[in-house]
Amino acid sequence: MRISLASAALALLSLGCADRDSTTDGDAPTGGTLVIASAADAGTLLPPLIDDVSGKQVADQIFDRLAEIGAEVNTIGDRGFTPRLAQRWDWAADSLSIAFHLDADARWHDGRPVRASDVRFSHAVYRDPAVASPHAEVITNVDSISVRDSLTAVVWFARRTPEQFFEATHQLLIVPEHLLRDIARKDLATSAFARNPVGSGRFRFVRWTPGATIEIIADTANYRGRARLDRVIWSFAPDPTAAATKVFAGEADYFEALRREQIPEVEKNPLLRTLRYPQLAYTFVGFNTRNTLFANRELRRALVMAVDRQKLVRSVFDSLTSVATGPFIRAAAPAIPPIPQIAFDTVRAGATLDSLGWRDSNADGIRDRAGRPLTFSLLVPGTSAFRIRMAVLLQEELRRVGVDMKVEQLDINMMGDRQNTRRFDAIFGGWNLDPSPSGIRQTFTTVATKPGGFNYTHYSNPVFDALVDSAATTMNPEQSRGYYERAYGIIVQDAPVMFMYEFQGLAVAHRRLNITGIRPEAWWAGIADWSIAADQRIERDQIGLRVAPK
Amino acid sequence: MWAYIARRLVQGLAVIALVVTATFVLIRLAPGDPFAATLDSPTVSAETRARWSAHYGFDRPVPVQFARYFATIVQGDFGYSTSQRRPVGDVLADALPNTLLLMFVALVLSFALGIALGVFQAVRRGTAPDRLLGSVTLFFYSMPDFWLALMMMLTFAYWIPLFPVTGMVDAVMYPYWPFWRQMLDRLHHLVLPALTLTLLTAAVIARYQRAAMLDVVHDEYVRTARAKGLAERAIVRRHALRNALLPVITLFGLAFPALLGGAVFVERIFSWPGMGFLTFNAIMTRDYHLVTGSVIVGGVMVVVGSLLADVLYAAADPRLRRP
Repeated sequence: MRISLASAALALLSLGCADRDSTTDGDAPTGGTLVIASAADAGTLLPPLIDDVSGKQVADQIFDRLAEIGAEVNTIGDRGFTPRLAQRWDWAADSLSIAFHLDADARWHDGRPVRASDVRFSHAVYRDPAVASPHAEVITNVDSISVRDSLTAVVWFARRTPEQFFEATHQLLIVPEHLLRDIARKDLATSAFARNPVGSGRFRFVRWTPGATIEIIADTANYRGRARLDRVIWSFAPDPTAAATKVFAGEADYFEALRREQIPEVEKNPLLRTLRYPQLAYTFVGFNTRNTLFANRELRRALVMAVDRQKLVRSVFDSLTSVATGPFIRAAAPAIPPIPQIAFDTVRAGATLDSLGWRDSNADGIRDRAGRPLTFSLLVPGTSAFRIRMAVLLQEELRRVGVDMKVEQLDINMMGDRQNTRRFDAIFGGWNLDPSPSGIRQTFTTVATKPGGFNYTHYSNPVFDALVDSAATTMNPEQSRGYYERAYGIIVQDAPVMFMYEFQGLAVAHRRLNITGIRPEAWWAGIADWSIAADQRIERDQIGLRVAPK
Repeated sequence: MWAYIARRLVQGLAVIALVVTATFVLIRLAPGDPFAATLDSPTVSAETRARWSAHYGFDRPVPVQFARYFATIVQGDFGYSTSQRRPVGDVLADALPNTLLLMFVALVLSFALGIALGVFQAVRRGTAPDRLLGSVTLFFYSMPDFWLALMMMLTFAYWIPLFPVTGMVDAVMYPYWPFWRQMLDRLHHLVLPALTLTLLTAAVIARYQRAAMLDVVHDEYVRTARAKGLAERAIVRRHALRNALLPVITLFGLAFPALLGGAVFVERIFSWPGMGFLTFNAIMTRDYHLVTGSVIVGGVMVVVGSLLADVLYAAADPRLRRP
């Protein structure tokens, strides 16, 4: 705890020297239009209610946080965080509160100044049960926010935790009180503001044509400096293939989810290039440990042992991604040393299954015990071509050691239903991670096995639980990292899931774009600093800051 | 005639009520719920999803939900879209004109093309052009709509980039172009989806029209006209075609729902923001009110289409107007 306070103090000292996120200086030109192809429209642009990626991408341009997480995506203390609406911040001596000093120049896009009362109001909206914000539960540690003066908001915490600064800043986009206070909280979702937002970010909202486009333009008088691009447009397509085709056909400039087989198309086109970047997501084959078959730890380990995951990942992705080695993404946790894995060894896998009594007694190629064949089904989302391909390869790997795995492709609704009601043997799932490693409390600890919890496999190990709890509450970052490392090691060896692959972002972009500031959890974080050289501009870059009548 | 129309309208209302009831129940029996998309996010708890469900009244028994929904429907309120987060009435009002435009263009083109091809084939029965066109129309007749749409998109938007990939207008430049360029842009975007629907429907019409023409060309009144020394073109146009159109008019009533069904896939593939695109997305996201609202609108369109076909048929055939 003392180390945390010390690091907080150091961070505070360093803030005096920290550069504000410099934007308008430098050589990069201003102007141009970025068209982002997207496979799904946004649901809402009211930050407390956003639960989809498109909405988040847009809202992150229009609204600001108090401080922004750094490129390292550190969530412990305030190391790496850069000022946004808050110019600076002071930690209380007991770390139970932080006073954020707002930038006096910050303005809403309607010209009104951003005030501390807006911060207090935003927190109240996020936490109000009538709003039913999907983010409410990740800011429960923020007890309240008080207004010391018009430019100082004091965030009070229920308890000291290593991630309290992250909780107070990353999870909370500040919304304008003067435009929202008169709307009943339960009606916020249906308010005009939710489709026509006013923020304080470097882009301001222009229009939203449902199912077609969302358009924003640079806020030229922004307190953080004008965005380099004039305009950003999200252009929606019905599916990822159609979205990628928009870029290939020159109708869009950027698409974030290119498939491996589309790379040759990009290489053929001299105007396009690919971009690779880590993402905070991984997939796994989860075993339902309530199933008598998978309740046995040794059997689960034998199954993991029987699968050459390196080969599978290479077959499906080539070098585009790598095997997941635990419930975390290596690029986002560089300080975690390699976690020992259950080695691929079909001989040992076979021997383990033999020792458990699973033998091929009738020579049909499938092991059996007491007349019951060693067979199970794997649920796979029909929308994921990667997981389907990998499931087929996995089926073959397991068949070689006498295990019969059937692949059940389901639509997302059906799969969600089976997942929620735990009606499955094994499931090819995936998790989109929050930058905070403590998210595994929601996915693998015993408390998350309750109905409605996200621990679908029903994995329960008190030692793992204790290590995760210690990691999430220890103020010492080194100690915390050590606890996480041990917890990861335990879950890998217990094998309630077979960690399959980490998501690697593969995007296609127009070559005229100068792209900077891609972060693992948000490739769009630096859009305001992307630029287009003046001599490379095309017709749509010439629109300037004009706004067409609605 | 008016009594007939009124009777048909009442029948149509009954059909729509039945379809809506079935849709209302079936979509709720289907696995998943409107908030299933958040299942990959461990931060959205079951409690939060339950709160959302309660907010929209989806936690109540289905009969209660139906009674409430019916009460709002009769007041002209179609409920609230959970996927688009705005009133279903507004969503439908945006989508319906787009579908009507696409269907109108496709209907006009497909009937014009289908009738012309059918007549051409009939008057040249047994010749090489007849056989060739027969094969071509059979090809399109047997082709799945989504596959043809995909092929059209790949061929004419991607491999030979003559037309835009998706959408109704240029996503970026449209608002900044002058009026004439905006109209051109709309036409440009309309070509592929309209042509896809046209080819699918025209193939059916051509085959019907050919058969109908062949039925009448041997009738006595055609032989009489020919004996009177009328030109072949006049015989076909004034005598044969007029009578051979009657069965094709019946097709109009069938083409309407078929086009609407085809539009679901065609609109989705070309991102045409119409009823088909909307309905597909609404089903996938389990947007209960939007699905039901779309079915109501679709049902009304089908009922009106078949009624229109009956009225046209009655207008074309005086025998049907006799009491």
